[in-house]
This record gives sequence, structure tokens and C-alpha cells, in this order.
Amino acid sequence: MSRVSETGFSGLLDLPLNRLVDKARDEGGRIIGYTCSYVPEPLISVDGLVPIRMRAPGVSGTPLADTYMSSVICSYTRSILEFALDGFYNELDGWVFTASCDHLRRLYDNLSYLENPPFNYMIDLPHKISEPAISWFHEELKLLAGALSADFGVDTGPDALRNAIAKLNSFNAILREIGEMRKEDTPPISGRDFHEIVAACASSPKYLLKDKICKYHESLKRNDGTDDYRARLMLVGSQLDDPEYISVIESVGGLVVADRCCLGSFPGLAHIECGTDPLRSLAEHYLAKTSCPRMMEEFDSRIENIIGIAREYRVDGIIIETMKFCDCWGVDSGLLVSALRDRNIPVLRLEREYSLSGEGQIRTRVQAFIESMGK
Amino acid sequence: MSMKLFIHASLEQERRVERGAMAVTAGVDIGSTASKAVVLIDGKTAGQIIGPSSTNPKRTAREIYNSALDHAGVSAADVAYVVGTGYGRTQVEFADKNVSEITCHGRGAHFLCPTARTVIDIGGQDTKAVCIDSEGNLLDFVMNDKCAAGTGRFLEAMARSMELPVEEMGQHYFTGGDPCTITSMCSVFAESEVINLINDGVELPRIVKGLLLSLAVRVSSLARRLGIIEDVVMTGGVAKNKGVYDAIEKKLKIKMKSFGDTDPQLVGALGAALVAADFAGAGTVSG
Repeated sequence: MSRVSETGFSGLLDLPLNRLVDKARDEGGRIIGYTCSYVPEPLISVDGLVPIRMRAPGVSGTPLADTYMSSVICSYTRSILEFALDGFYNELDGWVFTASCDHLRRLYDNLSYLENPPFNYMIDLPHKISEPAISWFHEELKLLAGALSADFGVDTGPDALRNAIAKLNSFNAILREIGEMRKEDTPPISGRDFHEIVAACASSPKYLLKDKICKYHESLKRNDGTDDYRARLMLVGSQLDDPEYISVIESVGGLVVADRCCLGSFPGLAHIECGTDPLRSLAEHYLAKTSCPRMMEEFDSRIENIIGIAREYRVDGIIIETMKFCDCWGVDSGLLVSALRDRNIPVLRLEREYSLSGEGQIRTRVQAFIESMGK
Repeated sequence: MSMKLFIHASLEQERRVERGAMAVTAGVDIGSTASKAVVLIDGKTAGQIIGPSSTNPKRTAREIYNSALDHAGVSAADVAYVVGTGYGRTQVEFADKNVSEITCHGRGAHFLCPTARTVIDIGGQDTKAVCIDSEGNLLDFVMNDKCAAGTGRFLEAMARSMELPVEEMGQHYFTGGDPCTITSMCSVFAESEVINLINDGVELPRIVKGLLLSLAVRVSSLARRLGIIEDVVMTGGVAKNKGVYDAIEKKLKIKMKSFGDTDPQLVGALGAALVAADFAGAGTVSG
């Protein structure tokens, strides 16, 4: 099955900073780039700050970045640095990183040398999910909140945070509802199109997209959906922000009905419970829910989470996509493959680069995978 | 296109066309280097062709198919179902269905050797190890297609650097002498090593033996990632190279099962024709 995008969101993915980002800037918003799911989005959404997940769409080679980074740094990191050096992110007012992996830490280092933008902030991130770790992360968020207030003069107080969390919850609830339509026998949206809207929403000021996403949601309710697929698939892996990658998978008869990627639906769209101390709530939520292989002693919960989603969405098989040289996913994926096979879940592991390449090879593997399931 | 076609005389003799109730199916395998077609009549190979791939895979597919039909003595109208496979499988416009070469190699190998459980396929641009069950169904696979190392292309490039026909590499492997050590995993650097060895006056058979052993190391490593379950068979054009075959057996420390007179390069197309027979038998044929 191969479907042309009908979402109306594709134009928002052509540039790293799209026209809606320009609009937000024109309206006085300060644009904060981030690259990791551990960055608490509501904290960089307060009081006119606009969080944008950084991408490098259409990157073709990383000659500039390769001068400053080792060839064993993942191609997402190198691609972002390439675009930074090329000036694609000059309109950013700030970057916020977490020390989630050594590769992104090197990106932070390089951007610090560039001093463009001047606000370049790294949040330290514990490797465990425990009470002391949450307290530590909470302290880190307090420091970030202070830095944001000092540099941008924004209000990061409890009310502002509560408001930002409520807005994000409201927005993500719509995306979640769209995602849950993929549980149906005849999903009204392909995996490619779903990924496109999730990526577009992460790449745009959400307040400028809310009406559009609501209308799109309504239009899907009138869509009969499709049964033109051979196998229901789940995609598991790290940074993926190119819907065409999923399009290649779906071109040979797979339908991606669930995903667990850094820029996907699980757990990125989860509802944030907001308690009496919203900053503490963010620390709890982001540390516990992000489910990245960088975390120690969490393999069992990650695998149970993946299997739970696979069952809920009635997937026939799971594709694990890992970016070459990704330390976290590279190691974890081997264990994941074994653990999933032990549960009799068909699994295919694909290694890839950040930008789409080798479509023919992907098609051959995915088609054989579907055939191996007797589909 | 001036296509040089190789018709297998032994099967020419076996051609047996029983018009009437016969079930004719075909498999067309458009690979990166060679294109192959097999026509089955009542489950028996009646026509088979190997020719070079070209920059026009649609035309190549048509020509190779027509040649196989001629070889089998049937017309396209007699064919109940056609399956296209190989990297150019979507270019086989007249196919009723396209099926991955991984499935087809497994199916073809099982047909020729029912006890086969592991299939090592070395083609022009990729190497695969395929695990199949007792029915020939695909269970698992691993592939190397990101790098030319361990593929037919690797051998071609090395043969070119030694000004040696690639077909002669196998016989040099067996002509004695200790193998040279080729350490580079990259085809380009391996070629540099070969050129250095030539300039050092090392005899070609020793270099060839070293090259084939280095290819065998890469292929064996890939196969071990899948897990070796005997019987093991080898398909693809490189399987015809007796030196590679022997080197892989030595590296895996097993004896592989032979297909006898059947050309291992045809196994993918044969598998496609068998899959086509399944579809024809299942009544899924349209038209």
C-alpha cells in the first residue's frame, strides 16, 4: 500500500524552522530548540517561549559537521550540527539539551563554541528512575527555570507551568485520539500520515496548529479507513522525523499502526499529571515516562510497555529501527529482538541513517518480514 | 539489448510439455547483475534462462521471460501465474505478484534439497543467510547489502585488478600455495592490498586463495549471526565458484549440500515459479 499524503501538514516539514515558526517570532515568541524527549516541553512553553523539536530535513551529507565530530557520532547529531553550521537555525533564540546521550552532548559542546544562539543550556539527567533521581532532576529543572527567567524574563512560576501543562495535555489529547483510531480494523490514517502530523506538530508552534489539527481529527471520523494492508506493524526506535521512511515500509503492504519512537506517539503524547508542584510533576513525568534505553534497570518495563502496545493495537510484527552508531538503541535493540522473539512476536531489526537512503533494501527486508509472517 | 542467453542443455532434454491439463507457472528474478527466469510445467522445470541485467529492467524481464517460454515450448497465454522477484521485482510488469528474493531463495532451495534449513545466497550486490522450516517457509534472515564486501561485486572487482576472468578464480584457489592474508573489510582497500601483493611479486593463486577466504570469513560471520542449522545450501551466482564454496565450508566447519546439476544461480527464479504454482493452485489467479 502506498498513499500520498492527504494530511495537509506535509508543507510544515520541508524546512527545519517552518513558516509557522516565523509567524510565532513575528508575534513576539522566543523560539527554543530541543532535540530530546527528556526536555520538559511545558517548561520551555511558558510566557511566550515556543518549543520546536529540531530536525534537519533534506540534509545531504555532513561535510561541515564531520570536521568537528567523529564519524562514529550518529547521523542525526551530525545532521543537526551541519544545519547549525549552515545557518539554518539562526532564528532560534535558545537551545535546551539533556545529557541523554554522549552524541547529543557533543552537539551541545559544538553549539556552545558557536555561541549561536547565546542561550544554550544543558540539563543533567540521571540514569535511574528513583525518588532521589526525581529529586535531582527536579533540581535541574529549577536551575533551567531560573536560567530561562534570567535570560528571557519569562514567568516560570507554578501558575505559568500549570497553564503550559494544561495546554500541552489538551493538544496531545487530540493527537492521542487520532493515534487510537489506528486500533481499528480499518484505520482511517496510515502510519506515514500519522507520523507526518506528529512531526509537524513537534516542529511548529502548537497554538498555531490547534485549529488545523482539530479539523483534521474531525475529518478522520468521516473516513472509512483502509483494509488495504497485509500486516499491522509497530515501529520501535529512536529519532525518526521523516514520514517517508514509514512510507517505504508501507509501500510493500505493511501498515504501521503503532510506534514507540522519540518523535512518535508513545510515550511522547502521554498525559502529564500535574500535582501541587508542577515543576516536580514535570520531573516525575519526563523521567519516568520517556522510556529510553539510556535508562538503567528499566529494560523489563520497556519491553512490557512495547508488548502492551503491540497487543493493544493488535500488531502482527514489530520493526525495530536503530540509527547507526546510536549507543543506547544499538545495544538495547539486540536484547529487544531476543525478548520479543521469546514472546513469539515477529521482529525485524533495521539499521538506518538519519536521512532516508537504501529504500530498495528496506523494501526487500520488510517485504520478506511480512512474507515470513505468512501474510 | 544484445542479451547473451545461456540455455541449460540438460534441462532441454527434460522438457516435457503436456498440453491440456498442464499447469504452467513462471518465476522471473531480476537481480543486480544477472536476470533469471524459470518456467515450470506441472511442477517440473521446463525452461530456464540466465542473462545479464541491464539498465532497462522492464525490457530485460520481458526478454528473459520470453526466452524461458521459448525454451519450455509454451506461450505466455499458457502461463497461469507469474511471480517476479529480485531487486527489480517491481519492474516485472507482467507478473501477477512480486515476492521478495529472500522467500524465493528459501522456497527454491527447499524444493531442490528438502532437508535444507539454512540457505546462504551470494548475489551480485548482497549476501543473505536465510533460515527455512521443513516446508520451505521463511523463518528468519540476515542480509548484508550496505557494503560490497562478501558479494559477487567484490569478486568481480578483485578479478579485474588481477586481470583475471572471474570464472577462473575458483580453479586458482585449488592450485596450491599458502593463501595471502587480505585484512581489509572494505572492497576498495582490499583492492589496494591486492595491487600491493601483485607488485610484491606474489603468485596470483595465493592472492586468489586469500581473497576467497576473506570473502568466506565475511559470509560465514553473517550466517553465524542467523545461526547455522544444517543442512546448509548455497545459492546465487557466486555459489558456482568452487573455491568460495570450499572456503565457506571450511570456515563454517560443515559440508554443504549440493543441488547436483541444478545451477544455483537459478534457485531464486525457481522459487518464484514454485510460489507462483502455490498461488495458481490456491485459485488466486486473476483473469
